[in-house]
Amino acid sequence: MFLEIEHLTMRFGGVVAVNDVSMSIQRGEIHGLIGPNGSGKTTIFNVVSGYYKATGGKVSLEGKPVTGLAAHQITALGFARTFQNLRLFTSMTVLDNVRVAMGQHARAGVWGEILNTRAVQREEKHFTDRALELLRLLNIAEYAHERATNLPYGHQRRVEIARALATDPKIVLLDEPAAGLNEVETTQLRETLLKIRDSGITIFLVEHDMKLVMGVCEQITVLDYGKKIAEGPSAQVSRDPVVIEAYLGKEEDL
Amino acid sequence: MKNQSSNMKRIGLGIAALVLLGFPLIASTRYQVHIVNMAGLYILMSLGINLAMGYCGQINLALGAFMAMGAYTAALLNTRMGVPIWINMPLGMILAGITGALIALPMLKVKSHYLALVTIGLAETINIIIVNETWFTEGPLGISGIKMPELFGIPIDGAERFYYLVLICVVVGYLAARQIMNHHTGRAFIAIRDSDVAARAMGINVAKYQIMANAICGVYCGVAGVLYAHMTTYISPDIFEFKTALFVLTMTMIGGMGSLAGSVVGGLALPLTLEYFRAFKSWQLVGFGLAIMLVVLFFPGGVIGIARRLEQVRGLRLPWARKPEKPAQTEASHVP
Repeated sequence: MFLEIEHLTMRFGGVVAVNDVSMSIQRGEIHGLIGPNGSGKTTIFNVVSGYYKATGGKVSLEGKPVTGLAAHQITALGFARTFQNLRLFTSMTVLDNVRVAMGQHARAGVWGEILNTRAVQREEKHFTDRALELLRLLNIAEYAHERATNLPYGHQRRVEIARALATDPKIVLLDEPAAGLNEVETTQLRETLLKIRDSGITIFLVEHDMKLVMGVCEQITVLDYGKKIAEGPSAQVSRDPVVIEAYLGKEEDL
Repeated sequence: MKNQSSNMKRIGLGIAALVLLGFPLIASTRYQVHIVNMAGLYILMSLGINLAMGYCGQINLALGAFMAMGAYTAALLNTRMGVPIWINMPLGMILAGITGALIALPMLKVKSHYLALVTIGLAETINIIIVNETWFTEGPLGISGIKMPELFGIPIDGAERFYYLVLICVVVGYLAARQIMNHHTGRAFIAIRDSDVAARAMGINVAKYQIMANAICGVYCGVAGVLYAHMTTYISPDIFEFKTALFVLTMTMIGGMGSLAGSVVGGLALPLTLEYFRAFKSWQLVGFGLAIMLVVLFFPGGVIGIARRLEQVRGLRLPWARKPEKPAQTEASHVP
């Protein structure tokens, strides 16, 4: 299995945000994680990406254990993520937001940077070229030198995705990338997701926009109150009565 | 138009270089040169704190202790073993840098105002050690008889000659800081300041860069300390007390936190202004406090912040304004 989550549990005091969830993701697929608000989706992301330390269970990528590593080490293993409430580097340009995420490949060290050696110049050029390439992929290259926070909201979301891709990930965790986007932007996002998938990067997607989720995800896992209630191909999940009940409530006998 | 402005810039730089190089000749007294030399040392320390605090968001009030590490390294080695400044300089830089890195360790655990307290505590500890371990540091009496440097048999004595040594250190220090900020290390500093959560998620080893920022800050203060020892030929612990850190912090905030040019502006402006108000020496600390409050309340970006604001509003281009990098539009616009 590519990404394996086994018996993951996350408690905050008495609250069990994620309760014994196991799931796995295949390489190269777009895997959706859905569920009503507060069902533990973002918590799973935060555990997988190392922001929280799991109370129980384990996560592994390509057989390598991830649980217990620091967030930056997890990123180095091939995870990248975006944030539900944008967390861009507010005082940096769009270009620098993306370039800084490529730093784990910086080999130069501070002395090389001070002396601005050939190797550093080459590396810097590589960072810039790659960053612009990613910005073009997300159609925001023209804003490269704008301050990231001056961009419209939808574009800021794209900067987050470009930044995540800049870490050269094997899998990206996208936390509600369509939130706050209009119809047109959502359609563009959908194309972007497919492009990213086609470039060989696995996508783990938390999203409330069902049309988008059903449109792009091969597999879907459904959470409710921190527990996994359904899993499978999207067509099957959308017809699952348990899922419908979690979203719409149960029909009561009168 | 573009050519004209770049020509203007070149002329401006040329004039600035001439003034800087010729300053000891146009200064009317040796004391004036001495004051400017001191300002140079403050600029170095200010560059250090700007990297650690202005860019990386790490409050550090142990600047006096870092400077003391450099100064005492130079003073002890020079007076006891006759080691010249050229060897004391790298040694002082290394020791002050290590001190900076060590002070950063507790900083990884605490934040904001607690952090300020930790660094004050550590700085005081170093100061108390210097005052009390008289067998090693001569205690409150200080160390006198430090030799001024010599280069190829030419003595660098007197403020006028020492000025050029300070000038070289400031220019090299400024350019080095600029290179750091123009590359990955600098971007990582800013990323950590803006959002440490996102920085971690982007693979940045936050602890490593925080330690590095403080070590670099230490190195800058160490350089200032070594220069100070050899320049004044006498050092005593009171120079490295907390008020030095406060002084440097004030000038950096007035000049502009998060701007290297701000360090130069503040580092020159504050010591020179204070010279005019020598009579009010005992009120200095009150003045610093007020200045910091006013800057924080009304001009968070300091002098450079005001200049940048003007630049945006009126389209003025200032000589130190950064040229935007080559725009990417040409290629990008072809993409549908």
